[in-house]
Amino acid sequence: MPETAAPTTPTRAVILGGNRIPFARAGGAYARCSNQDMFTAALNGLVARFGLQGERLGEVVAGAVIKHSRDFNLTRESVLGSPLSAQTPAYDLQQACATGLEAVVGVANKIRLGQIDSGVAGGVDSSSDVPVTVSEGLRHTLLALHRATTLPQRLKAASAFRPGDLAPAFPGVAEPRTGLSMGEHQALTTAQWGIGRQEQDEIALASHQRLAAAWDSGFFDDLVTSYRGLQRDQNLRPDTSLEKLGALKPVFGTRLDTPATMTAGNSTPLTDGASSVLLGSDDWATAHGLTPLAVVIDAETAAVDFVHGEDGLLMAPAYAVPRLLARQGLTLDDLDLIEIHEAFAATVAGTLAAWSDKEFCVDRLALDDVLGTVDRAKLNVHGSSLAAGHPFAATGGRIVATAAKELARRKAETGRTARALISVCAAGGLGVAAILESA
Amino acid sequence: MTVVTLPVVPGLGGLYLRGAVGGRSRTTLPDLGYRVAGVRADPDRLTAYQHLLGEPATDQLPAGFVHVLAFPVATALMTRPDFPLRLLGMVHLANRITQHRPVHLGEELEMRARADDLRPHHRGTQVDLVTTVHGADGEEAWRGVSTYLAPGVRLPGDDRPDRPDRAEFRAPSPTGRWRYDADRGRRYAAVSGDANPIHLSALSARAFGFPRAIAHGMDTAARALADVGAARGDAFTWTAEFAAPVLLPSSPSVRIERDPGGFGYRVWDAGRGKLHLHGRVDLAPSG
Repeated sequence: MPETAAPTTPTRAVILGGNRIPFARAGGAYARCSNQDMFTAALNGLVARFGLQGERLGEVVAGAVIKHSRDFNLTRESVLGSPLSAQTPAYDLQQACATGLEAVVGVANKIRLGQIDSGVAGGVDSSSDVPVTVSEGLRHTLLALHRATTLPQRLKAASAFRPGDLAPAFPGVAEPRTGLSMGEHQALTTAQWGIGRQEQDEIALASHQRLAAAWDSGFFDDLVTSYRGLQRDQNLRPDTSLEKLGALKPVFGTRLDTPATMTAGNSTPLTDGASSVLLGSDDWATAHGLTPLAVVIDAETAAVDFVHGEDGLLMAPAYAVPRLLARQGLTLDDLDLIEIHEAFAATVAGTLAAWSDKEFCVDRLALDDVLGTVDRAKLNVHGSSLAAGHPFAATGGRIVATAAKELARRKAETGRTARALISVCAAGGLGVAAILESA
Repeated sequence: MTVVTLPVVPGLGGLYLRGAVGGRSRTTLPDLGYRVAGVRADPDRLTAYQHLLGEPATDQLPAGFVHVLAFPVATALMTRPDFPLRLLGMVHLANRITQHRPVHLGEELEMRARADDLRPHHRGTQVDLVTTVHGADGEEAWRGVSTYLAPGVRLPGDDRPDRPDRAEFRAPSPTGRWRYDADRGRRYAAVSGDANPIHLSALSARAFGFPRAIAHGMDTAARALADVGAARGDAFTWTAEFAAPVLLPSSPSVRIERDPGGFGYRVWDAGRGKLHLHGRVDLAPSG
């Protein structure tokens, strides 16, 4: 029998850095750029920053939520277009808006198991360069024509054509099973938890102010590479105010019994962008002269039944986080940073409200008492999706790289280990949560 | 009761033509039932039905698909010259389907249909069409009771019942919204074979007094069943009461809600606050 050195403890998966392109407004600076263009740009910046030219990495994992079928190997094609070694394998992953965070978890797990020693996790999405498809009627006619081999068969197939079938089909924004858009779903949850307009606008204002401050302080200098002339996130409005946000008209929940509170200001806009995160083992980092910023400790994914109205569409993180904290023996007070993806300001407020609601925590989360309250000073400290924008699959990578750098900064400042919680909600009633610690 | 065996399931198109003509002289139900043996589902039609209704395309026949297979046998009864009510113009009031066990693609099925309980309604006369579907062992696998109203028809000696008090409908918070394009009736007709003109186009619907084409009642009820999903289990009773037709195109709101017995559902027009249909999916007690 050959001798094998079985590791007794899993390897640490450390975050070494990240790179993204500035996020652009839909129809903005990247209107003509494809998902592959943008992810390759993010990847190229990462390779340049960490000197990975010609390097064979363990794996690159990324994805896009809105993807053309020709992009079946989007991530591998991006790798082939980058200076990484062509021997770097890749795969595509898709978990709606949680794609980027799930990619980080997947790469980290392989590193921890010793299957790979390094990897890149990321994501990309374009709301501008979306695939447009033919109608179902025309598709069936074309498929029948394609299968037909004789003239009579072709004529029969062609006879099924109807002029109305020519209308093109754009990607839908509605949940497939409910027909409601994400905003309409959130409006139901907003009403259920009684989240007010003021609280939502305050969350939006903080997001813009904190993101602007982070840009001004140079925090993003080694996390972002400019692209197509864009230097900063295009959606950011540093000069916004509660007055300006308060003047916007509600756009979701306008047909409910309760007052509509969700506006274009406290909801994330459609965005184009890409992000990437470099991970590795401690040994790989040392061999490449790189300093770990943070360690991926653990992660938990949850899902809720929103189809039958049991929970709101975006409430899965409210379940994932308590399970994750319990497994790690932690409470909300043990966290230094809490990153809750701002799909809508009301998503953040609703999640916090649920965690401090005794009935919800006891009946739905099976806790003895409330999970607790979150100190707003720890929440989304460098701004989040309301200000940066939300190119669906790219958001996880943006948050992870930002949090990892902030954890490293805090450890350097205080000498103590700092801990971050990241939570991202997603279509389909999904939610992913992860815990990072300063390295 | 005499049971007449039909060689095949009749086509609905011819039945509607027959159902459109002729006066009705009888005032009692014929003491007769129909049966058709050796019926098999067509896989392509099953797939098309499952795709249209949002059912997973498994080899189990959705309870609503069994209905469309068996429905023409009942319709054939209603188009007999000795049937007391005229088919065209009849209104589907309610439906109650019990699935005792799942029916699978490839099974050889026997359909039996009879009419039952001819009785007065405050708007006319109603009747139940009872259809059962049996497996190779003869055991009943599926039972459907469709209640139809012939508006304005009075039978001799019937006491016209008072209009029952209907609780005022107050729209709940929705769990979803269905999008029905103008061609929804034609699309359901294509998978169900039910090409009743009231569903096909505004023009053909107007001939029967509807301002626009209306969605098939069983299309809407089956969509609610699909929304309940796999949680309905293998054995259940699925009911629908049709309050007001869905005029096409339309985006009715829906609420599907779990409760101790199963699921309740409501479908309504959010703009006008008007109920289209409501019903339940009650799970059979396990064990």
